[in-house]
Amino acid sequence: MASSINGNGFITTTVDELLSWGRRNALWPVTIGLACCAIEMMHAAASRFDIDRLGMIFRASPRQADVLIVAGTVVNKVAPMLKLIWDQMPEPKWCISMGGCASAGGPFPTYSTLQGVDRIIPVDVYIPGCPPTPQGLIYGLLELQRKIREKKVTRYEKAFEEFKKDLSPELLSGIGV
Amino acid sequence: MPWASSQTLDRIKHAFRKITIDTQPNFVCLNVEDTQEITNILKHLKDIEDFRYFIDFHVIDFPKEKDRFLGQYILVNPYTFERLAVKVWFKSNKLPTAKEIFPGAKWAEREAYDMFGVEFEGHEDVKRMFMWEDYKYFPLRKDFPLGGIPEQKLPSLTEVLEGNTFPPSHDYDIMHTYVPNMKDIEKTEKSRITKKGQLVLNWGPLHPGTHGTMWFLFDLEGEHIIQTDVILGQLHRGMEKIAENLHYFQFLPYTDRMDYLSAVCNELSYVQAVEKLANIEVPLKARYIRTMFAELQRINSHLLWLGTGALDLGALTVFLYAFREREKIMDIIEGNAGFRLTSAFLRIGGVHYDLAKGTLEVAKYFVKDFYSKLKEYHGLLTRNRIWLKRTKDVGVITQEDVYQYGLTGPVARGSGVAYDIRKIDPYAAYDLVDFDIPVGDIGDVYDRYLVRMEEMYQSARIVEQCIEALEKMPENEPYVNKKHPAVIPPKEYVFNDLEDMVKSFRIVVHGENIPKGEVYSSGENPRGELGFYIYSIGKSSPYRLRIRSCSFYNLSVFPKVIYKHTISDAVALLGSIDPVVGETDR
Repeated sequence: MASSINGNGFITTTVDELLSWGRRNALWPVTIGLACCAIEMMHAAASRFDIDRLGMIFRASPRQADVLIVAGTVVNKVAPMLKLIWDQMPEPKWCISMGGCASAGGPFPTYSTLQGVDRIIPVDVYIPGCPPTPQGLIYGLLELQRKIREKKVTRYEKAFEEFKKDLSPELLSGIGV
Repeated sequence: MPWASSQTLDRIKHAFRKITIDTQPNFVCLNVEDTQEITNILKHLKDIEDFRYFIDFHVIDFPKEKDRFLGQYILVNPYTFERLAVKVWFKSNKLPTAKEIFPGAKWAEREAYDMFGVEFEGHEDVKRMFMWEDYKYFPLRKDFPLGGIPEQKLPSLTEVLEGNTFPPSHDYDIMHTYVPNMKDIEKTEKSRITKKGQLVLNWGPLHPGTHGTMWFLFDLEGEHIIQTDVILGQLHRGMEKIAENLHYFQFLPYTDRMDYLSAVCNELSYVQAVEKLANIEVPLKARYIRTMFAELQRINSHLLWLGTGALDLGALTVFLYAFREREKIMDIIEGNAGFRLTSAFLRIGGVHYDLAKGTLEVAKYFVKDFYSKLKEYHGLLTRNRIWLKRTKDVGVITQEDVYQYGLTGPVARGSGVAYDIRKIDPYAAYDLVDFDIPVGDIGDVYDRYLVRMEEMYQSARIVEQCIEALEKMPENEPYVNKKHPAVIPPKEYVFNDLEDMVKSFRIVVHGENIPKGEVYSSGENPRGELGFYIYSIGKSSPYRLRIRSCSFYNLSVFPKVIYKHTISDAVALLGSIDPVVGETDR
């Protein structure tokens, strides 16, 4: 915390910083695996890497989670369901795109693959790799912590309002906005 | 596996005059001329000739032929282990269904409809298998582009949020293929089952217990399931279409991403098929290295099944214990291939690198240690009363189911069918090592558990023998057959030798033409028989590459077995079938 401790054991800080400190040290990801990257995500949570020690506990319900790790290829068919889960998560929330497929379609420039999850969900941190190693995922999570510390919590509604202006109504129903 | 012998073929020829027989070195098929007769021929093959093990059905598209689509069945005789393909042309896009004879064909026909738009007479619910209802195209047809048809404007939200920056945040095409909305998805769901019971329960697609992105629909009467359907395609990436558009060697890394838990085994099945087609011999050292890594990968994959299967039934400890060993195996693979999970270690004609220094010592230590660890797992589960209650007499699969649905791997062996490609049709160095095939008795979840546990033990034995053989080999023994024109020379030669550099350049840029012909070749994956059917027209990329996926067929028995059982059994059963979505959906 960017604050000072005076002689009497008091801490002076701002509310914003206090909240950000709390948020970044208890990032709870949703337990969702889509493809190969999910295995490395499991490895990050299991015996050797154990991201519990960083305060990250996987939650099975999106209502209790604040980070969505998109681990794996997002195909067109699963996109609306993934979007639904993102919408069910309470604010403030962040999204990590893990691996090449989720970031930009990866090695699958095909008829059935969504070319990057950022087309339906705003992404905060992109992690390259196919799949990224657990170390890579942990680095991404630490980068997210840094982002939360340095930036104020992003409110997506405002951006979405602007985004909606450009789009036709059919398309909006298409992505479930 | 031997293909059908000439005596068998003669007998079939005698019974049906109107068929022709095509015999190739790695492929034997019957060409059926009269489409309507196919039902009789399949019945005859099943009942009289004992070709009762349904392996695969797929379609090949020839846009220039009169009857555009060619269907092909692959059957096996489980007593003599003969394999036979049956080819039949569709008449005006129609073929009589085979699902009465082989129930496993039901899903395969659905898939054929989804990908090619062909119809099946008598198949009442031909639905989209991988795509959603209302999807307009048939992707595997030759006139459909790989990238699909861009229809909607879908900008990157990162760009929308950050604004248009210069230089742009990333380079991409703003037009995208059609992404379905929730209405399309709901329609897909509704079309699958008509409600008969009290409640239709959705399990998945994004549920941790479904091992990925499978979507189950359970029609419930009380807690008992009276109707089930599985919606697949939540990870359909178009592997078969990709293969048609790439050179043979380029498709290798994609096989890693199919069944991502057993990357080396997938590669082994694939390179084997190409090697048979192009007639490439593999040096002995490479064969041993391949076997060793395939078996390490099998242990690795079974450990994940053990961990997650037990986790689904509430045993968290096993998960952490199993992942401890997995990390060790992954380190061995990473040390050699440079990659943990999707290793791309094998090459057509050999392996990519020679064994890294110290691999054998590490592997030796691992195996020595693994036996005691295996005892630990047994101690946690085998006599555990809760585990026994959840798994004994649950999800019983009979031998007849195994044959009719085309189940392979530990699922088949758990039901007492000793069908193991490693023994029947030895590839790599499996004919040089000694191992046993464990089989189950009744075919319940517990039997499949025991079979997989024993398989891990046998794999460890094979690894031990491979280490022994590799230790005896001289160090400069070749690990890739670089003389063959279709084999890319390893990097150490490319950097030092002009000829090899030119050859590497030529193959990487233009690809090497593979002789005309067909091949169906399979390998024993941790989940079952992974087969590759390649139709080559003499170019550097396959005309059609069909992936016979083991998880896909293994899963197809699920609706039948779970009938009148409870949801808690569904979790145990799915865990014991152990499908991987990357492979069911491809």
